[in-house]
Amino acid sequence: MKLQDLLVVSVTGLKTNKSRSALTILGIVIGIMSIILVMSVGEGAQNLILDQIRGLGSRTIFVEPGREPTGPSSFVEMFTDSLKDRELEALRTPANVQNVGKITPLVMNMMSAGYGNETIRTNVLGASDIVTEILDVFPQEGIFFSEEEINQRSSVAVIGSEVREKLFGPSDALGKKIKIKDRIFRVIGILPPKGTVSLFNIDELIIVPYTTAQQYLSGINYYNSLIVQAKTEEAVPRVVQDIEWTLRELHGITDPEKDDFHVTTQANIAERVNMVTGILTVLLVSIAAISLLVGGIGIMNIMLVSVTERTREIGLRKALGATNRDVLFQFLLEAVILTLIGGILGILAGATLGFVASLILGRIVSLGWSFSFPVIAALLGVGVAVCVGLIFGIYPARKASRKSPMEALRYE
Amino acid sequence: MAGRFLRVEKIEKVYRDGENETFALRDISFYVEKGEFVAIIGPSGSGKSTLLHILGFLDQPTHGQYYFEGKSIEEFSDADLARIRNKKIGFVFQAFNLLPRTSVFDNVKLPLLYSDLSLSLRNETVKRAIEAVGLSGRLSHESSQLSGGEKQRVAIARALVNNPSVIFADEPTGNLDSKSGAAVVKILKELNDRGHTIFLITHETYTAEYAKRIIRLFDGKIESDRVVSRRRSTAGQFIK
Repeated sequence: MKLQDLLVVSVTGLKTNKSRSALTILGIVIGIMSIILVMSVGEGAQNLILDQIRGLGSRTIFVEPGREPTGPSSFVEMFTDSLKDRELEALRTPANVQNVGKITPLVMNMMSAGYGNETIRTNVLGASDIVTEILDVFPQEGIFFSEEEINQRSSVAVIGSEVREKLFGPSDALGKKIKIKDRIFRVIGILPPKGTVSLFNIDELIIVPYTTAQQYLSGINYYNSLIVQAKTEEAVPRVVQDIEWTLRELHGITDPEKDDFHVTTQANIAERVNMVTGILTVLLVSIAAISLLVGGIGIMNIMLVSVTERTREIGLRKALGATNRDVLFQFLLEAVILTLIGGILGILAGATLGFVASLILGRIVSLGWSFSFPVIAALLGVGVAVCVGLIFGIYPARKASRKSPMEALRYE
Repeated sequence: MAGRFLRVEKIEKVYRDGENETFALRDISFYVEKGEFVAIIGPSGSGKSTLLHILGFLDQPTHGQYYFEGKSIEEFSDADLARIRNKKIGFVFQAFNLLPRTSVFDNVKLPLLYSDLSLSLRNETVKRAIEAVGLSGRLSHESSQLSGGEKQRVAIARALVNNPSVIFADEPTGNLDSKSGAAVVKILKELNDRGHTIFLITHETYTAEYAKRIIRLFDGKIESDRVVSRRRSTAGQFIK
């Protein structure tokens, strides 16, 4: 039988039962749609997080206290006090760590800040002046605090655009005095609207000298983390090694397993994020695949009904010269056409939903959530759909092909 | 003997249902030459259809030999049988068995889908077959829009579209009024005149009148096998 004839015969077979064919397809559409949706949203989330991480620049290295968190219980270690002035000075010494550009300690607090009658709760970041370079944001009005002000533990603050908006409204903010946790700070700089960098919303930030934050705001003598900038991207691995050796020597650690700090690079984080989102995507896709399985069983069910219903037609075709193979291929092709159409519709529906989801999610997290048509997922979807058709179509098709022509013709 | 067009020897068909054995056919032997018009008659349950199904490769005998064009059917594979059904045999059924919601043209074309006839020749072939049964004006009608007689003529067109050497007609007039029935049998007669061998199962004796030879079955056995005397015939010998 010619392929062209086979196609015509199968399509005609499906057309004679349009609504049933459409309902059968629905199962496959939903299955493929869920897979495409999950994959496209997953890819969007991954790209978003990776973009955020890349926003920090590839030369950035994070040194954080405690061992690398491996689970929820080890988050406690993030609050250990292994990073203090001593460590900062050691890392600043070129003899210990070569190719270090700049280092800033970070002290982070969620605090209330007020001006006049307005009070807000926001993130107060204690940092050094080089944080502007790392976050790539510079005051659009006023100035950033200097090294001198850091050394003097000055009560000066640089505020994000949203903080400015909330506290001051339309009136002038520069030079005004704001109250952060009982202490008066003078606003010396205002940052332009910048949005989020590395999941930090710059616009909601108040930045003060880290020395001031340590002493007057949180009352601690350690740092929440150190951000080290390598001079070049190539130097990053070497700098990481130098930092580890320096801190181990300083803390008398011989076994790296017992480190009371951990060093991560932007590449590290990206890799980890990739892995986590990858695992999540696989997990969700597997769940979505269950609906595809159900859809496949639906196809098999309907094909079995169809084979029984069309017993006489099968007998007739055989009487007129159809071989078992012809009949097998006819019904198999019907199943595959169903799943293929279902797959294509599912891809379109999934991509559309994925696009809508990217708009909604982008609005919720107020970030530029990018939508990308998941080409690989789409190809995979078509492949999977065809396979489902083949797997669940083969049994009914074999059943059809094995009918004896005479008994099939006698069937009432 | 092997050279005969179609020959059966001591054919038996037994249906088993648990312990019970039902003999649908027993000890059937005869041969048929090319160009014969054989009517098979007999009461219901006498085994007419079973015999026709076996002759038309739709069923296999439980015992006995069947030679088609000199070859035992035991030599044929399933695919061979399908090819013979396609090329050498045409079927006409009592219940028409046309595809519903399908045009006359496409119904008649059906056997060609399973043949290796080139696409360019198909339409011509189909039209010629439809013309032969006098339905050229109904090409694009759906089968359900036709009268019973017209349906059966479409079925005949479908049976002869591959130019088969033998046409099996299983009570083609059974569902028709006498006028349409007569027209159908007349067409079969014309096909016979053009060289097609015809097997016609029928109840009514009047349709058997067109036949050159009448085999009468009773209770699965051949009761009589006679040449219709008023026609010129060379066939119709009962194998002793």
